[in-house]
Amino acid sequence: MALEISLGGAGGPGAPRRLVANAPWGVALLVLGISALGVWNLASASRSAHAPVWIAQLWWMGAGSVVAAAVVMFDDRTFHRLAWVFYFAVVALLVLVLLKGRWVMGARRWLTFGPVNFQPSELAKIAVAMALARWFHEDAARRPGPYGLLRLAVPIGITALPALLIKRQPDLGTALVVVAVGATVILFAGVRWKALAALGLAALVGAVLVWPHLQPYQRKRVETFLNPEGDVRGAGYHATQSIIAVGSGQGTGKGWGQGTQSLLSFLPEQHTDFIFSVWAEEHGFLGCLFLLALYLALVLAALGIAGNARDRFGHLLAVGITGMLFWQAAINVAMVIGLLPVVGVTLPLMSYGGSSVLTVFFGLGLLANVAVRRFVN
Amino acid sequence: MIGLSSPGTPPKDFRPHAQWAALVVAACFLVIAGRLYQLQILRGDEYKGRADENFVKELRVPADRGLMVDRNGRILVDERPSYDVILTPWFCGKQCGEVLARLGAMISLTPEEAQRAEERLLSARGLTRFRPFTVKVDIGRDELDVVEAHPGDLPGVDVIPAPHRNYRYGTSAAHLFGYMNEIGAEELERINNELPDEDQPYQPGDYIGRRGLERRFEKELRGVDGRRRLAVDARGSAKGEELERELIPEAQRFVPSSPGGNLVLSLDWRLQEFAEKTFPGTAGVVLAMDARTGFLLALVSRPAPDPNKLSGRITRQELAAIHSDPLQPELFRAIQQHYFPGSTFKVVTAVAALEEGLFRPGGTIYCPGHFSLGRYRWRCDKESGHGTVDLEHALGASCDVFFYSLGEKLGADRIARWGGGLGLGRPTGFDVGGEVPGVLPDAAWHDRHIPGGYQRGMAVNIAIGQGDVRVTPMQQLVLYAALATGTVWRPQAVLRLEDERGQVLREFAPDARGKLPMKPETREAVLEGLAAAVNQPYGTAYSQRLKDLGVEMVGKTGTAQVVRLGARRLKAHQVSYFERDHAWFAAFAPRQDPEIVVVVLNEHSGFGASNAAPTASALVRKWLELKAQDAAEQRGTAGPRQPPPAPAVPPAPPPGPPPRKEVPRGA
Repeated sequence: MALEISLGGAGGPGAPRRLVANAPWGVALLVLGISALGVWNLASASRSAHAPVWIAQLWWMGAGSVVAAAVVMFDDRTFHRLAWVFYFAVVALLVLVLLKGRWVMGARRWLTFGPVNFQPSELAKIAVAMALARWFHEDAARRPGPYGLLRLAVPIGITALPALLIKRQPDLGTALVVVAVGATVILFAGVRWKALAALGLAALVGAVLVWPHLQPYQRKRVETFLNPEGDVRGAGYHATQSIIAVGSGQGTGKGWGQGTQSLLSFLPEQHTDFIFSVWAEEHGFLGCLFLLALYLALVLAALGIAGNARDRFGHLLAVGITGMLFWQAAINVAMVIGLLPVVGVTLPLMSYGGSSVLTVFFGLGLLANVAVRRFVN
Repeated sequence: MIGLSSPGTPPKDFRPHAQWAALVVAACFLVIAGRLYQLQILRGDEYKGRADENFVKELRVPADRGLMVDRNGRILVDERPSYDVILTPWFCGKQCGEVLARLGAMISLTPEEAQRAEERLLSARGLTRFRPFTVKVDIGRDELDVVEAHPGDLPGVDVIPAPHRNYRYGTSAAHLFGYMNEIGAEELERINNELPDEDQPYQPGDYIGRRGLERRFEKELRGVDGRRRLAVDARGSAKGEELERELIPEAQRFVPSSPGGNLVLSLDWRLQEFAEKTFPGTAGVVLAMDARTGFLLALVSRPAPDPNKLSGRITRQELAAIHSDPLQPELFRAIQQHYFPGSTFKVVTAVAALEEGLFRPGGTIYCPGHFSLGRYRWRCDKESGHGTVDLEHALGASCDVFFYSLGEKLGADRIARWGGGLGLGRPTGFDVGGEVPGVLPDAAWHDRHIPGGYQRGMAVNIAIGQGDVRVTPMQQLVLYAALATGTVWRPQAVLRLEDERGQVLREFAPDARGKLPMKPETREAVLEGLAAAVNQPYGTAYSQRLKDLGVEMVGKTGTAQVVRLGARRLKAHQVSYFERDHAWFAAFAPRQDPEIVVVVLNEHSGFGASNAAPTASALVRKWLELKAQDAAEQRGTAGPRQPPPAPAVPPAPPPGPPPRKEVPRGA
């Protein structure tokens, strides 16, 4: 408590009390619950790897909580002020990763600083949300009303710059999430219907034009998605095995630690991108519904925070964070159950990985920050 | 949805967006939940099955194929341990070429085998690099030792046991046994489609019985493979028994194989070996049959390819040599080739004439050495003529004119009718496949096949077994057995099918296809003639009589002309092999109550009396000896009759040279 008081000083004399009273305890409880299930699930998923990654995950979550707590302490105006700095710092890191990044499996996604490896692309999701929130916040002060196509050029650029850099790595999944986060924030800021229609059309044309420029493995994934059974041993392997794992969970699942698909390594990347299929195999339809309900509650609570934000910056920042959580969860699960092609997107709070965990907790910290200061003027 | 935070009034303009978004979010989750319902509830069983299939690797436990044993339990066909050399490209990586070269030096690959292996290496890409392929089948013990002595030099090379069919006596009775070889890819599909549902389907690489008993009794000999189920991970490596016990139910982990049934043949291999040794022919047939049951006792059909060669390790050159051999070793002469019966056919003419009342016992015909009909003239075997001969003398000395005369009176139709009654002109029903019916021409047959149609003179030729009449050695055997006993038997070679413990699964009873409607006097008159042929000094086979044994053998020689006679008879050495006459001898003994029928055909060897009869006579003699020997043994052991010999399945083949041990009789 002492720590909180000293750091939260910017809020004035009433800050500590308000901090506790306004803290989104419901969100905190949901995050804690999902995280606990995530670690429990990882403990099962890592049986075959002979590496207790769930312990490492615990450490990452501890570190993430510290980050989140620290973020809550700051005055939200700090982030308002630092939005552009943060955004361009991330863009700079994204450029750096293209030049100096570590090659892993045919992609440059990782930056190495001494003993620390991290993916700047994770931070880009938050940076885009923050930068857009700032831009719309100030723009709205000048000209109110919904946005036409011309005035959207800047926010679209803000989203596209990091997205394209990430796409260059190449990391289609994260680039898509960045675009989704940006699009969500822009939509919440208010877009004219005509502009929306024009953008939709542009996206369609864009998709047609982009198709020939996709990497062969990316194109293969999309093709495989459209017909996964056509190539069970090749690119369809991931999709097929994941669907088998999910389906074989049936109503109530095989029980914790009993999933043969994960135990016998039929699932690819079962700690990270395909962690949901481990859950689905071992806990079945009921377990899946339970987990989905938790995510749904989390996203709705986060939307509630966004709806109750004090100002436009806080509102759009919360929307961006909510969008990030929602889109990642939805895209990841949809990919695991064969509703979307296989793209590398992690499931927040369930997937193993330091960058992912820290980014999610950083975002949750920002969300809590918005929640805590909603009545301050 | 907003209630999770503390109450309060938020700025108005943010809330409608949040509510719309909540709807979109809820809709997305609903779609996901729906998909999960589809995968886990609606199709859950299907995916559960596929998940199980993923980790269960099924290994086959091949069944032992049934044995073939002779009537005394002596093993004739079994399995011998053998080894195949396989190579898995993944494990030799870039050195595969060197490994193959080294291997070639150790196990002497033929250029053909080496080339095929190189092609397989080149074509192995991606996952197929994990798939082993066969470099050489059936390496010898010496080669196995060499390969196993250098494990480090041959990464990726494995030697796997692959039992091979072992025909212990090589080419002897090879046509009867048949052989085995690998089932083809297209054939596999077709055969599996035709299999009844309860039968186990064949798999690529399986061997299947070809020809003979191997094919006829494929289903019975094959047995049922067992299964061993392993738990494997995604890389295919076994995960150990502990996990297996957890994942795979006990009853499914191991299903033992059940061996195929053993065929107990009616052959007496002692007689068979004797026949092989005694028969001097390059090509020909020796058949011995139990006259009382129709079961074969010996079956020599020569030449024959070695079924051990045909079952796997034959080279293309060797196969080509077999195919281009003018003697056609693949032809099962006993049933698949028909010949002019020559004088052995005279018994049919005699029976027909006696039964049709055209000739009475005791009647005679004058033989001046030739027979004339219209402007045609037929020569008798004895150019000076036999003078006045009765039936006994005519059969004994094989007078042609006598039968020309009967033939002329009978005509082709009546000869064909009585020949048909004796089993000629249609397959005997010896059911190991591919039997030809022979030719028993009546007038209608000639009208269909001969330009100008039937002429009376044709019956003259038929009467002495020339013309267009043709019989298989097996038909000849059935014919003489019918004369001996009055029963037209369906010849058989399999007594019964037993399981591996000697329990009878199926017993084959003697199969009489008909009784000969022949007056006892007719039979007696014909037998007189046959007896004269062997036992009268003027008989053609007088030298082969069994004078010392007190058993009367009766029979008939035959010398079948292969090419039309020229102006004068040539000696055998004066014409090329394929133009020489076939030598026949058909006999049975004892004359009263006949027990054994023997037919010998020695292709292109000349006179029946000198080139076929001695074998037959020796065979009957041997058979009588064996009978006496067995009876003595029976008395020696005293007590109750011995239980039928149980041909035990040899225990798991020990490494080492193929076992040559005989199974003890009545063990």
